[in-house]
Amino acid sequence: MSDPFSAYAHPEALVSTDWLADNLDAPGIRIVESNEDVLLYETGHIPGAIHIDWRRDLNDQTIRDYIGPEAFAALCARSGITPDTTVIFYGDKSNWWSCYALWVFHLFGHTKCQILNGGRSKWVAEARPLTRSLPAIEPVAYPVPPRRRDAEIRAFYAETLAHMQSGLPLVDVRSPGEFSGEVTHMPEYPQEGVLRGGHIPSAHSMPWARAANPDGTFKSPEELRALYADALGLKTDDDIIAYCRIGERSSHTWFVLKYLLGYQKVRNYDGSWTEWGNMVRSPIERR
Amino acid sequence: MYPPALQDLIDLFSSLPESERREMLINLAETAPLHAPQEGQTFDLEDVRKDEECTDTVGVFLRAAPDGTISYKISLGPQVQTLTRAMTSILCQGLNGSTPAAILEVPADFVPKIVGAELVRLRSQTVYYVLTRMKSAAKVHLNRLRAAAAGPS
Repeated sequence: MSDPFSAYAHPEALVSTDWLADNLDAPGIRIVESNEDVLLYETGHIPGAIHIDWRRDLNDQTIRDYIGPEAFAALCARSGITPDTTVIFYGDKSNWWSCYALWVFHLFGHTKCQILNGGRSKWVAEARPLTRSLPAIEPVAYPVPPRRRDAEIRAFYAETLAHMQSGLPLVDVRSPGEFSGEVTHMPEYPQEGVLRGGHIPSAHSMPWARAANPDGTFKSPEELRALYADALGLKTDDDIIAYCRIGERSSHTWFVLKYLLGYQKVRNYDGSWTEWGNMVRSPIERR
Repeated sequence: MYPPALQDLIDLFSSLPESERREMLINLAETAPLHAPQEGQTFDLEDVRKDEECTDTVGVFLRAAPDGTISYKISLGPQVQTLTRAMTSILCQGLNGSTPAAILEVPADFVPKIVGAELVRLRSQTVYYVLTRMKSAAKVHLNRLRAAAAGPS
């Protein structure tokens, strides 16, 4: 059978539900569920999958930052993930949090990662098996990564400000209402503590959801190119920063640009609007 | 402070270790459909809507008993999160049979006692939403009773 993802820039970054169903016990892989719904994994998950919780496992528990290299190595070790393991992420919300988890793994140089196209909802819609049994994981050794690759795929406030001032492309992936400043929360969610509405001056609006089909799968390469190359005019060698509210929706767009379309330099501004919209004297545009 | 049935649930959850707390919440989430209105049932007040801050439609159905107490049925859309489903079961079990005035007095501070610090997050705040909707229905019902008691103006 031909590779259904061969037209994407990095077809190896995706797996299909068909492939995963046939390879649940394949050696060298670890299936990881990452969700917004904090109890969803425990209600039933793909057989053999472990749970990585974005806040508990990937975020520093005191300051707003990610875990450090030692904690990442410990997470992988107890999850049975070696540097050679291919980690297959899936989750709810069209894979927002699985893309976020994948992005954090890339921060530590673990790039043998894939996304289950369509995520949890497609697996469930296809009536594929779920289990509440927790897999027995044998801890393994994972060397502490020498550093976190913040400079390569992550943008901080000062860098994003400089990016804007230099006229380099910024992609705001929030909903149109959030971009215009009409609302300060995303539709269907509570307010997350931001004081000002609007967007970073000069940012392009391209809501993340336009890159996804109703079943949670990614749109075709042609459809994605129409959005980012044709509509926004982004070139594959552009230096691009994507942002949302806290970095999870922009992780989805980061994955699309970097791995499905092959953009070479894309960074995720995880401070996003909850940092920018609260920063004193931060420039804001509303329309 | 809390209706007795709700106090019992708070006490139960307070005694549970984290793993059992989570298991209990999942079991309660799975029983949420038992608290949905059934075909043919009638109610004194129905409030079905999808608000901006909730991921799906939530319907609150209130029935008043002759002794002045009220009971609820709650319908939840398929996108409602597990924790909110669990809280729906807890609230139906804990508040049914109380008076509207007692329900309006229930403070929301029991939510973290039941859910636990580990699961209380910004993105989980909709667990408070169902209580807010139930209180809103109780208030409307109470106002109707007061208006009826006052007679035609």
